[in-house]
Amino acid sequence: MIKNDSERKGLIINILSLIGFIIFWHILIVLAREHIFNIPFMRLKDIPTPLETWNALVGSMFTQTYGPGLTYGIIDHIRASLVRVVQGGAMAFIIGVPVGIGIGYSRLIHNILNPIIEIVRNMPPMAWIPLAIFILVTGGSIFIVFIGVVFPIILNTIYGVRSTDARLIDAARTLGASQVQIVAKVLIPSAFPSIIAGLRIGFGVGWMAIVAAEMVIRSPVGLGYFIWNMGDLGRYAEMIAGMIVIGVVGYIMNISILLLEKRFIKWVD
Amino acid sequence: MGRLILKGVSRKFNEFLAVSGVNLEVADGEFVCLLGPSGCGKTTLLRMAAGLDAPTDGELLLDDNKIEGVNKECGFVFQEYVLFPWRTVKGNIEFGPEVKGMEKKERERISQHYIDLVGLKGFENHYPHELSGGMKQRVGIARAYANNPKLLLMDEPFGALDAQTRNLMQGELLRIWEKEHISALFVTHSVDEAVYLADRVVVMSARPGTVKEIFIIDIPRPRVRTSPEANALRDAILKSLGAEIKRAAGKV
Repeated sequence: MIKNDSERKGLIINILSLIGFIIFWHILIVLAREHIFNIPFMRLKDIPTPLETWNALVGSMFTQTYGPGLTYGIIDHIRASLVRVVQGGAMAFIIGVPVGIGIGYSRLIHNILNPIIEIVRNMPPMAWIPLAIFILVTGGSIFIVFIGVVFPIILNTIYGVRSTDARLIDAARTLGASQVQIVAKVLIPSAFPSIIAGLRIGFGVGWMAIVAAEMVIRSPVGLGYFIWNMGDLGRYAEMIAGMIVIGVVGYIMNISILLLEKRFIKWVD
Repeated sequence: MGRLILKGVSRKFNEFLAVSGVNLEVADGEFVCLLGPSGCGKTTLLRMAAGLDAPTDGELLLDDNKIEGVNKECGFVFQEYVLFPWRTVKGNIEFGPEVKGMEKKERERISQHYIDLVGLKGFENHYPHELSGGMKQRVGIARAYANNPKLLLMDEPFGALDAQTRNLMQGELLRIWEKEHISALFVTHSVDEAVYLADRVVVMSARPGTVKEIFIIDIPRPRVRTSPEANALRDAILKSLGAEIKRAAGKV
């Protein structure tokens, strides 16, 4: 992974920066608790220290019966949220890619669908939550993820199809390709990097949407539910541990799709 | 067979006349170079022969069949190679056979044959971005040939190459062409290239493009670029072309 000295230096600085942040966080809380320093209008002393957060994280990682709201461990919450994001994301992919190809390829489909998409995509996923609760018996949070993921995928697919080199299409035509073959063998492969980029952006949006949806929809398990519940119960160390987990899982998700991109798209310079 | 006939071909883009009344015949197995000032409609003519564009007047015939819609019996070689970047060398060459629904075994036989012919053995599984310009154009030529065309259409295929590679590729093209003889229409800016390659050189006038003069290059191949006959022909062609380039420059 690390190729040269400058990359190694970069990595060391990255690690030092993280450690520095944790030390700063610790000192800030200790000073507040000793009444030496406080930021006005903030209850800094109620914030858990990094060590307390760590202990809360480890303690609630696998817990099954630890008072109200902790009947699941963080691992279960991660799994529940991830499963929803993957389900909603997969649905968005299955629907978004063909829609994007259709709009990118055909002026007519573009003119039919574009006005609807342009309005709907400007409604944030969170704005759909009340409707989801109202009309869906189950799977409300999956639906919210779907809304968050589908538009980045559609837009990136359209862009990918439209930015296909026209000369490649000419080349395919002189080689005897039919319209269907041009879509399958030229437009889709050419748009593929954009589609994957859309998937990555979409999953980022979907991850934010799932946490919000779980808070409001009150699914019994899920990271959004977990941090909301811990906040309610005044268990701030668990709450902050949950927030950090949300950030780390989102980061890992992004990196995974990036690696997938590199693995499958060998042909881009 | 592969006889291309252009009968009074004109092409207007809106009110702008790009090509005007071109009459030309490329005999079966003949190598014809189109030479002319920039913007004289050389590429437009080539695109019409490929059926990628249609004339506003006149008609194009390939073996007495009118070219309407994309001409699937031609092999087009582009200046900037225009390879499918997500396909390997082999995948690019097999594109034509593949869309025709040819069996995998037969496809592979064809691609291997042309990979060997253009000298790309060992590079079958390389992607275009891993190849030099000269190698990319070898793929471009092999891909056109693998489609089993009656007519090769080449649009300044060596225009993006450095001078050394360009000379080398001209020799390579002739080597390939002499092995698998098909009619060729080759657009170029280079008089030297035209005299080295062609059976006949067609000099086009400044726009609207029309046939100004045709030179027959009856020097036997392989040709020596600096032979007295070649020099004399180059001189004559340059004079004819020079006047058109001046006219084109004066118009802009």
